[in-house]
Amino acid sequence: MGSPWRLLLTMALASTFFSSKLQAEEPLHKGIDRIIAEGFESPTKAASPAKDAEFLRRVTLDLTGRIPSATETRAFLANRTPTKRAEWIDKLIASPEYSRRMQEYFDVVLMDRRADTKVSRAAWEEFLRTAFASNKPYDELVREILSNDGANPKTRAAAKFFLDRDLEPTIVTRDISRLFLGRNVQCAQCHDHPLVDDYAQEHFYGIQAFLNRSYLFPNAQDVKAVIAEKAEGEVSFISVFDPKKVQKSTPPLVSGWKPIVDVTLEKGKEYKVAPAKDVKPIPAYSRLEKLGAAITAQENVAFRRTAVNRLWALMMGRGLVHPIDFDHSKNPPSHPELLTLLADEFVKHRCDVKWFLREIALSESYQRSSEIPPGGQDVSQDRFAVTILKPLSPEQFGYAMIQATGLTDVYRKELGNNASETSLHAKLSAHLGPFQRIYGSRPGEPEDAFSSTLDQTLFVKHGDHVQNLLSPRVGSLIERAGKLKEPTDMAEELYLTIYSRFPNEVERRDIAELLRMAKNRTALLSDIAWAMLASAEFRFNH
Amino acid sequence: MNTPIDPTKTRLLMDCKHARPLIGCRFDPSGRYLFVSAEDDTLQRYDLLTGEKTPFVGHKSWVRGLAFSPLRDNSLVRLATLPSAAVGSAAIAAREPAPFTVYSGDYHGNLFWWKGTAGAAGPVKSISAHEGWIRAVAVSPDGATVATCGNDHLVKLWNTADGKAVRTLDGHKCHVYNVAFHPDGTRLVSADLKGIIKDWDLATGKIVRDLDAKVLHKYDSGFAADIGGIRGIGFNARGTLLTCTGITNVSNAFAGVGNPLVVAFDWNAGTPKPLKPTEAFQGTGWGVSVLADGTVIAAGGGGQGRVWFWNASDGTNTHAVNVPMNARDMAVHPDGTAFALAGANGTCSIYTMMVGSAAPTPPIQPKKA
Amino acid sequence: MRENVMKPCEYACQTEEHQISRRLFLGAAAGLAGFTAPSVAKELSSGQKRMLVIFLSGGVSQLETWDPKPNTDTGGPFRAIPTSVPGIHISELLPQAAKRMHLLTLVRGINTAEDEHGRGATIMLTGRRTEAGIKYPEVGAVASNLLVTPNRDLPGHVQITPGGGSGFNKEDAGFLGPKFASITLADGKPPADLLRPASISSDSDREREALRQKLNAQFAQSRRSAQTDAYTESFEQAAKVAARAGAFDAGREDPKAADRYGRHDFGRHMLLARRLLEQGVTYVKVTHTNYDTHHENFDFHIEQLSEFDRPFSMLLDDLADRGLLQSTLVVVMSEFGRTPRINDRYGRDHWSKAWSVAMAGCGLKAGAVIGKTNANGTAVTEREVHGGHLFHTYFKALGLNPTKNFYPDGRPIPIADPKAAAISEILT
Repeated sequence: MGSPWRLLLTMALASTFFSSKLQAEEPLHKGIDRIIAEGFESPTKAASPAKDAEFLRRVTLDLTGRIPSATETRAFLANRTPTKRAEWIDKLIASPEYSRRMQEYFDVVLMDRRADTKVSRAAWEEFLRTAFASNKPYDELVREILSNDGANPKTRAAAKFFLDRDLEPTIVTRDISRLFLGRNVQCAQCHDHPLVDDYAQEHFYGIQAFLNRSYLFPNAQDVKAVIAEKAEGEVSFISVFDPKKVQKSTPPLVSGWKPIVDVTLEKGKEYKVAPAKDVKPIPAYSRLEKLGAAITAQENVAFRRTAVNRLWALMMGRGLVHPIDFDHSKNPPSHPELLTLLADEFVKHRCDVKWFLREIALSESYQRSSEIPPGGQDVSQDRFAVTILKPLSPEQFGYAMIQATGLTDVYRKELGNNASETSLHAKLSAHLGPFQRIYGSRPGEPEDAFSSTLDQTLFVKHGDHVQNLLSPRVGSLIERAGKLKEPTDMAEELYLTIYSRFPNEVERRDIAELLRMAKNRTALLSDIAWAMLASAEFRFNH
Repeated sequence: MNTPIDPTKTRLLMDCKHARPLIGCRFDPSGRYLFVSAEDDTLQRYDLLTGEKTPFVGHKSWVRGLAFSPLRDNSLVRLATLPSAAVGSAAIAAREPAPFTVYSGDYHGNLFWWKGTAGAAGPVKSISAHEGWIRAVAVSPDGATVATCGNDHLVKLWNTADGKAVRTLDGHKCHVYNVAFHPDGTRLVSADLKGIIKDWDLATGKIVRDLDAKVLHKYDSGFAADIGGIRGIGFNARGTLLTCTGITNVSNAFAGVGNPLVVAFDWNAGTPKPLKPTEAFQGTGWGVSVLADGTVIAAGGGGQGRVWFWNASDGTNTHAVNVPMNARDMAVHPDGTAFALAGANGTCSIYTMMVGSAAPTPPIQPKKA
Repeated sequence: MRENVMKPCEYACQTEEHQISRRLFLGAAAGLAGFTAPSVAKELSSGQKRMLVIFLSGGVSQLETWDPKPNTDTGGPFRAIPTSVPGIHISELLPQAAKRMHLLTLVRGINTAEDEHGRGATIMLTGRRTEAGIKYPEVGAVASNLLVTPNRDLPGHVQITPGGGSGFNKEDAGFLGPKFASITLADGKPPADLLRPASISSDSDREREALRQKLNAQFAQSRRSAQTDAYTESFEQAAKVAARAGAFDAGREDPKAADRYGRHDFGRHMLLARRLLEQGVTYVKVTHTNYDTHHENFDFHIEQLSEFDRPFSMLLDDLADRGLLQSTLVVVMSEFGRTPRINDRYGRDHWSKAWSVAMAGCGLKAGAVIGKTNANGTAVTEREVHGGHLFHTYFKALGLNPTKNFYPDGRPIPIADPKAAAISEILT
């Protein structure tokens, strides 16, 4: 049996054997919890629900990329409304910070921090942010990204995915397959994948065949280059394992469903605009035009599986398919019926990202504590019995430091009536650069497994960027805390501002005692603040 | 009587070919012979009357420093009359040329004496003059002293008669690239990598002053290396003008991206004046001289080659000639009407600047080596 | 962990991004994702070993250094001088090194067939040709990964460069990961953040560390992962390195040594290198710039080699005197050599067909030469080798087995190019 069919059969089987449908009137978040609970070996090994402070910090980071302010934290914790969590979620999702967060997150996912050569950063960010603010359906967003030739200056930003990869066919093919189909078929370029039976050479070239007739016009070096396309050209490939070196080809094809049938045109009628020197050709039939629709088609199950898997991983710290770009039959999802449910419901709701993230945020599974219950140490992460600790992204970490030390509030005050998300962000982003440079992965490389390198550590320990944030300027945390009378109040202010929670009794007492004994209270406040900012509790989303 | 010249009439007179790239070239004081030094460690002597080419073999390394004992008689060969002289070439060839000595210094630091008129024989004397390269050799106007300079930062003076050391002039702090006697015989200039020219009193061996041609040096911080040095040097006949040349404006030392420049000094005042080619040229100035009418002539190369002429008083670059090869040395013929360029392609080309309504007389074809 | 049946893939796929995924191909096993794969078990050789690479950047001319051809059409003006080993001659531009030939091992038959700086450097530093999609680790990352380092306070992989910025280079450890990437000391200066700034007093530093550890201990009681452990430990590690910041200060060496090595940049850098090696840094690379002499090759080689010759010789002497040479591998390399043909501007151009490398120390036959070139240096005539053979040789000399594998994310990758082998003739 050919491998695309095998994949299809597996998925079909999966959906018939398991009840991947919501029970009557069941909102998605309930379906999530039901299925997750079914996957517990023992309910007692699941963590208890997160406390309010835990929940507040987590969801604020996940949905808006920042930590809550001390004021917000106090208010939320004091709020007695039983529906406050749902209201907070709604507030976050409706805020401009949500769009900013999604823009920053998807920018890195889609562009791997590549240099901005042919599409400006500002235009691209605007494009993404507007898409998330208006809650553009995800499939529509992906279609836009995969179908824009960059010729219209008003919409050119959408073409950044192609343009700032120089439309390099191997890289574009690999990234389309990885990001939108959950298939890292890189190793299937030279031969059928050596380890994954489902990834054949044909799958790699099937995607590339959508692109192979396209190229950058007038050339790849021109910053104003647009995508042009010829009317002819086939991909051809040989397997390096094939001793006979048989030449193969494929029409444009998304693995898992039928290949595109190229339109053949009469000789002489292949072009609307024929190629000539310095003339951008426009073919009568375009393979590239078919790409977006093919990737996001209803029949292409992989697209929605990957979309929901990535959004799930964003919130939950781990995909149902893990790693997120190796969806294949020998790497089944941890909860197959859940993945199918999420994928189907996502499509039913027209790929509504806000709706989807809201559902996850409302679930008990998301709102579980990250504190491991007794006996829970040996439960596998893929059960989602305990919330997974997630290191903050470079952006989250930077914004969190800037917020925690008080600089965000200083700017907000400065801007006064002119404070808006945009104007505030312009001020904050000026401080973000070193965080992105030192904590971000190298341009063109997907975000890697977490590592803590010497330069990152010294950046926090000795670097002047962080030292400056800790200086006792007017409006800073240090200054604010220093003005309080009681050391216990200072302790509280520190914890609420940096950790977004109240200190427990022991913590309150210990910090207060230190402060009482201090010869130089300001210096000590700075030291305490530093230690908290450098701690694991701050570095991770828990 | 000086034959009138017009730089704008410069044209090729003859090519003297050799199999290996050339490093230096000089005419002997009689103007009959053209000597070149090549990358095969040899000197080659071209007899411009007979066309003969004679190898001078003995050095074990490259030579750039070439000098001669001064002319003692009236045997100056005028290139202007060369063709007619060739008519009776047998007679000319039969006339014994006046003996002269060739002094050559090599990159092993050895200074050789040669009989200039000899057939292919070896040097008659050699001394170990310097540690490392001898970069230039000059002979005093009275012929008694030969000066050498080189990579050991030293300038040394030797008796031409017996090769004994006369004096060591120690003051430079880097490679000494060139050396020249003032025509009046009382002073010597030596010029180094960093563009510093030292003016020595020959009687006392003391430095009279430093002249500043530092524009001909740069430390290329990208490659962490010094590039510079006075590659060519020359006084005018009366010693009122000192010219030197090298490379300036260097933006990439290891690719040779820079421009040739001549720096001319009023000898009395000691003030430098830059003489620039009008048209941009990328390369190094390798040779400079002052013609009888005061025109400054320089040649250089960097891929191709050029020869430039300046009016020294107002500094205008009056003419430039393209030459097809990288010219790595230049010598003006004693009769003042021609100059030779040592080509990296192995050819030493002689160009004439003579005016005259007559078509240039056909050049003599040198006999094959 | 399931058994995988893997198709053999020794073919080095020359594709644009034949990337080794950092994630497991078959999906992570149960447990904590993101754990870096364990490195090849460190081999305990007798005593600590270390390595020094001196990189003559730009392509030093083999004809002006280790394989002179005087009085030939390619030889140029310099002499070949006898050395402390009868029968071996090197260029007159290395008089001090010539006196130490009995400590050196010359490899004269190198053909790396790569004339471009970046790719040539990759071959010489990784032992592999540039391969799109896989980032092989440089020799320093491999050495610091494989060699036992009893002193964990200092980084194992240090580069001293003539200029640029001091900092941390994530690139050169390839798939071994940023933990083995080098620290760059530009002009011998440590990265700014290594030293505690004046704005943080030592009391403050102590207070901060104590508090940080206490907070983390508290947090770890309820929430802990491999990642949080890695994070908290990294501060302990950084504190140790910062405490040893004095190791990076060559100014603390005896001024007489500074005079011996020379007060010029390369002299200072070599003295710093000696200091770091003695203090326990596993691998140091010192770069000397520049040798890319397309123009006036001979003058520039006089200048550059005169900077190189003395400190190189002094460092060899010092290593030998202190009994360190037998446990230190020293390699002098470039990205390639220079053309035998002299161009019209007295320059030599890029040349990788027949050139040389000089080595000394651990595991090598001293005073030996392997490989020959023809009379005018235009071809290798005997024992032709390339970067892969050299890479094998380094690690064999250090007492390791370069035919073993690394396992980045479970995929076996041989330490050295499996198509090559060590140059056994020069190994003891």
